[in-house]
Amino acid sequence: MSIFIQLLLNGLIAGAIYALVAAGFSLIYSTNKFIHFAHGVVVTFAAYFLYLMFAVLGINFCLSVIFTIICAGLLGWIINEFVYKTMRKRKASSVILLIASVALLILLESLILLFFGPSVKTINFLEGGIGVNIFGAMITSLQIVIIFIAIILFFGLWLFMKKTILGKAMRAVSNNKDVAEIVGISSKQIYAWSFIVGSSIAGIAGVLISMEQNLDPVMGTNLIIKGFTGSIIGGIGSVPGAIIGAFLLGLVEVLGIWFLPSGYKDAIAFIVLFMFLIFRPQGIFGKKDFSGKII
Amino acid sequence: MIKIEKLQSGYNKTKIIKGLDMVAVAGEITAIIGPNGAGKSTLLKSVFNLCDIYSGKIFYKEENIKKLPTHDLINFGISYVPQGRQVFTNMTVKENLEMGAFVFKDKELINKNIEDIYRKFPILKQKQNQDAATLSGGQQQLLAIARSLIQNPQLLLLDEPSLGLSPKAMKEVFKKIQEINKEGVSVIIVEQNAKKAVEIADRTYILENGKIALSGGKEILKNPKIKNIYFGGI
Repeated sequence: MSIFIQLLLNGLIAGAIYALVAAGFSLIYSTNKFIHFAHGVVVTFAAYFLYLMFAVLGINFCLSVIFTIICAGLLGWIINEFVYKTMRKRKASSVILLIASVALLILLESLILLFFGPSVKTINFLEGGIGVNIFGAMITSLQIVIIFIAIILFFGLWLFMKKTILGKAMRAVSNNKDVAEIVGISSKQIYAWSFIVGSSIAGIAGVLISMEQNLDPVMGTNLIIKGFTGSIIGGIGSVPGAIIGAFLLGLVEVLGIWFLPSGYKDAIAFIVLFMFLIFRPQGIFGKKDFSGKII
Repeated sequence: MIKIEKLQSGYNKTKIIKGLDMVAVAGEITAIIGPNGAGKSTLLKSVFNLCDIYSGKIFYKEENIKKLPTHDLINFGISYVPQGRQVFTNMTVKENLEMGAFVFKDKELINKNIEDIYRKFPILKQKQNQDAATLSGGQQQLLAIARSLIQNPQLLLLDEPSLGLSPKAMKEVFKKIQEINKEGVSVIIVEQNAKKAVEIADRTYILENGKIALSGGKEILKNPKIKNIYFGGI
């Protein structure tokens, strides 16, 4: 029983991390309607930026975290403003934008590698410690913090999308860009805002991940694949769906390695991805229109 | 109110409107009818800066509004309802109305306008917390019209409001358009249902090949040229 609870907790922690990545990714996808794989490198950037500020320059941790989240949001804005916006002006299709996002992911990861070197880095701010015993299963205080912050963040994001005028405008653009323009919502501004908000969430993800794991320049690739898979499971374009999908992915991965060697963890994620793409491409919460197109 | 002079417009390099002149008088309903592909919707989109304008002028209250951004047009008092019951299906009726008032910053004014809309469209008040996707076709069209009325327009541009509606829903939509006009809002309506549009209009323009082929009052449908325009002389 305690093993099962331990796996459940591990799944919850993995899911919370994937969900943090998936939430920002899905927010950007829902308004921009293209797959922004470079979102993964924004998470890596945030983790390394925190490392630079706190571990290298010795700046106060809280200040470092605030700077990191702001800079992650800024990086998202810069990526949109100087890459995607320019390409959209030249009528680039969503496939071209996707290819550009993969190129950006690789380019920025290479820059991080060049600047920080290939060796893994560690931020020793909050040690895991002995942990808390829950029905025989162990969870560290840091992991509790991660789950707690993730839940608060998701609730905040839900409130933002439901209650604020900017959040509602994002949902409007996501649903029908042409009508949104007709009522005076500038889709270009909403694209920019969704990059700022989505990348700031990636910044928070980077901060939490950097406290839990070692940093490595290509960590973003793995994270965005998991975030993307979570979005597909939950229903691409649905932010709450992506969060729930990512939690499910974390649980399935961890429960899967109860039966299989841990090396198969990524394979389990891809099997789940393929199953959804084949049998329920719209995901759990996604919808299809009358013609069968995923909306 | 609206005076269009020698307008040429279209999409990319395809010219749809080819040197069109027309006038819509304040307080009137102006209908634009014509066969498929005549350029009716493009004409409305030209006024609302939603297509490429190559040349010509569009005057609204003596000011050239050609190529003005959407929020300026809304602030000028022009609202546009696109064809095809275009509502935000993932949002509630109330949220749809709030989005209609996006360009306004005064919350009190927005709430007042929403209450006004609920008085005019009681069905929308009844369904204010329901997702727009769950409304019937006619209700969605009414919501699209109501969303534009939130902007307090003086000129309402309606693109095929009866498209895809049942006869009963169509009747209700046309009745609402007349009520809106009686409250002082000028209307330019593009319609496939020529008979219905002419019935409610004070003035009608018939478009053919991007130009005005005929104009007149309610007697226009009796003009022998109509057959030629619609059926190519069959």
